[in-house]
Amino acid sequence: MWRLMHAIAIGALIASAGYVYSLKYQTIYAAEQITKTRHLIARERDAINVLRAEYAHLTRPERVQALADKQLDMQPLALTQIVKADALPEAAVKVDSIGRKLESLGLLGQAATPSAGLTGATPSTR
Amino acid sequence: MDPSDAHATPPAKASAYQRARTLATGLLSTRIDKSRGRIRLLMFGLFAAYVGIGAKLVFLGMSREQPQTLKVAADQAASGARPDLLDRNGEILATDVKTMSIFAEPRRIIDKDEAVELITAVLPDVDARELRERLGSKKGFVWVKRQVTPKEQNEIFHLGLPGVGFFPENKRVYPNGAVGAHVIGYVDKDNIGIAGMEKYLDQQSLTDPHVAGFSVDPASLKPVRLSLDLRVTHALRDELMAGLTKYRAKAAAGAIIDVTTGEIIALESLPDYDPNDPGDMKDPTKINRVNVGVYEMGSTFKAISIAMALESGKVNLASRIDARDSMRYGRFTIHDFHATHRVLTVPEVFTHSSNIGTARMALMVGIDGHQAFLRKMGQLDRLRTELPESAEPLAPKHWSELNTITIAFGQGLNVAPIQALMAVAALVNGGNMMIPTFLTRTQEAAAALSHRVVSAQTSESMRYLMRSNATHGSAGFANIPGYYVGGKTGTADKIFHGHYSKDKVFATFMAITPADKPKYLYMVLYDEPQGLAEDGGYHTAAHNAGRVTGALIARVEPLLNDPPRSEFPTQPFPLIARLGYGYDADRMGKE
Repeated sequence: MWRLMHAIAIGALIASAGYVYSLKYQTIYAAEQITKTRHLIARERDAINVLRAEYAHLTRPERVQALADKQLDMQPLALTQIVKADALPEAAVKVDSIGRKLESLGLLGQAATPSAGLTGATPSTR
Repeated sequence: MDPSDAHATPPAKASAYQRARTLATGLLSTRIDKSRGRIRLLMFGLFAAYVGIGAKLVFLGMSREQPQTLKVAADQAASGARPDLLDRNGEILATDVKTMSIFAEPRRIIDKDEAVELITAVLPDVDARELRERLGSKKGFVWVKRQVTPKEQNEIFHLGLPGVGFFPENKRVYPNGAVGAHVIGYVDKDNIGIAGMEKYLDQQSLTDPHVAGFSVDPASLKPVRLSLDLRVTHALRDELMAGLTKYRAKAAAGAIIDVTTGEIIALESLPDYDPNDPGDMKDPTKINRVNVGVYEMGSTFKAISIAMALESGKVNLASRIDARDSMRYGRFTIHDFHATHRVLTVPEVFTHSSNIGTARMALMVGIDGHQAFLRKMGQLDRLRTELPESAEPLAPKHWSELNTITIAFGQGLNVAPIQALMAVAALVNGGNMMIPTFLTRTQEAAAALSHRVVSAQTSESMRYLMRSNATHGSAGFANIPGYYVGGKTGTADKIFHGHYSKDKVFATFMAITPADKPKYLYMVLYDEPQGLAEDGGYHTAAHNAGRVTGALIARVEPLLNDPPRSEFPTQPFPLIARLGYGYDADRMGKE
């Protein structure tokens, strides 16, 4: 009886030691991963900063102006071209120019579908 | 004699073996009568050990040289992180990027001569003799080369030298080059501010890069927002540069200030420098002329003199000033540049830029009143802004009536242009004086730290005068339609060997937009501009600084989110209209 109890106790001791050992190694591994990730984040952050600086350098007004002068066929904005939105004239009423032309030709009355009457689509007269 | 006694005493001549044996049995025996000696031995041993430890502690405490770890040494030597500098819209003006630097630990280098040879083969720009000296020193840490390229780093790495390593450092970069350089300033190799706002940041000691040897976490640094607008600053620099070549001037400078808050929106001084590579900054032509140069501001100073006369109550807008003849004072004669030879009203004195008229007005106020007013306007004391650079104005030591006469029209008192800018801003913004700032400032904060120097009515009179000078005075070139501009020119003859030169001038121009409720004040300066043939050879400020300001207003105002107005204000100057002479400035000239 005692012998069995001893055997179980020793077994439990060894098992728990093994578990703690593996746990410790997992912790070390996780800590390493965290450090690695932190370094990675720091490196990425530095890289982002370099890119920001590069972007600011490439979009600096001096360079954009030189490129625009060289590449674009555009005039500088004149002050007369700036107006407030409410200063714009009202949009003109939509004009049906075809309809108006037909009306002036006196054809508007007949603009209804040429009589799809008894004789079908083909007009009977003319 | 007891024979047993003779047995107990060890034989006089015991063998070595026997002695070792007795010692061993003695040590291992657990007889109680032996323990006293052992305890004594143990006590002595422990006592000796503790004395030893104590002595070592005292020795460590006394020693001057603290043994430092490599990490600490590198951190102290490496350039620390600095906060980003942003413009008012959040564009980057200055930021840190990481670069690698090569260091060496001389104690760990085995063959120093070989190391020097190999390193200089890879890095030819490193001086071999100097490097050998550094490696021969007793220090634990020396730099080999700062801020190397990745290629150089790789080559050094492949040399495989023991005791040579790499350490990441922060390098300050200015993506916009020379734009705004005089405000931003620059840093040295250790990322310590040398000039401009960079130095200001260090003076705040918030960002001391080497506090007690621990490096600042870059993520904890909040970016600092300046009052500058990058795009406007570029436009200012571009226009100044164009004028500089066109009028073949020696130097140029300009600034734009928000008169409601005192924020400097743009500031440039030409010739300038690239803060990424400042080179030798001993060159006196590259100073910040707005803050550090002191100049006779010429006729732009008349604005201050007339405001003083109006504020004193001795003169009002309808007063008439005699300018029929040149003014004599002792052996000096004061002339008008655009002589009218008649009695002038106060607005006419301003628009004709009459020296005689202004001098007479200043004399009405008197020497003491003049000095007191100039002091109140900040013209006699050094103006300190956030920028570490500033200059003391040059005022005459003995202030006579003649000084008051000449200073009234802007000669005989040298001030930094930013002082004149501050004074004119206060004159036009309703009379509130505030120190210009290079950091962002809200209207409330500005109101809290400003103080009144002239009445609202005087301020409105000044705006009225500047507006009328734009419609039919010397500021016409800057009268950009849609912005209701007001302005004042100033052309000061430069002094050479104690005489005023006629052909070398210092041209200034100040303009406000819009004159009825000013938001921005523009200042443009040219040092020794040349007259152009198409201007009839005139080198007066209207033709150079005035034209440039006009182009600048047309270009900058839309950038500042200020569209041109299609109609003029109906009642631009209500206070002086109520007093009777306030028909609006646009009509005045036609009468």
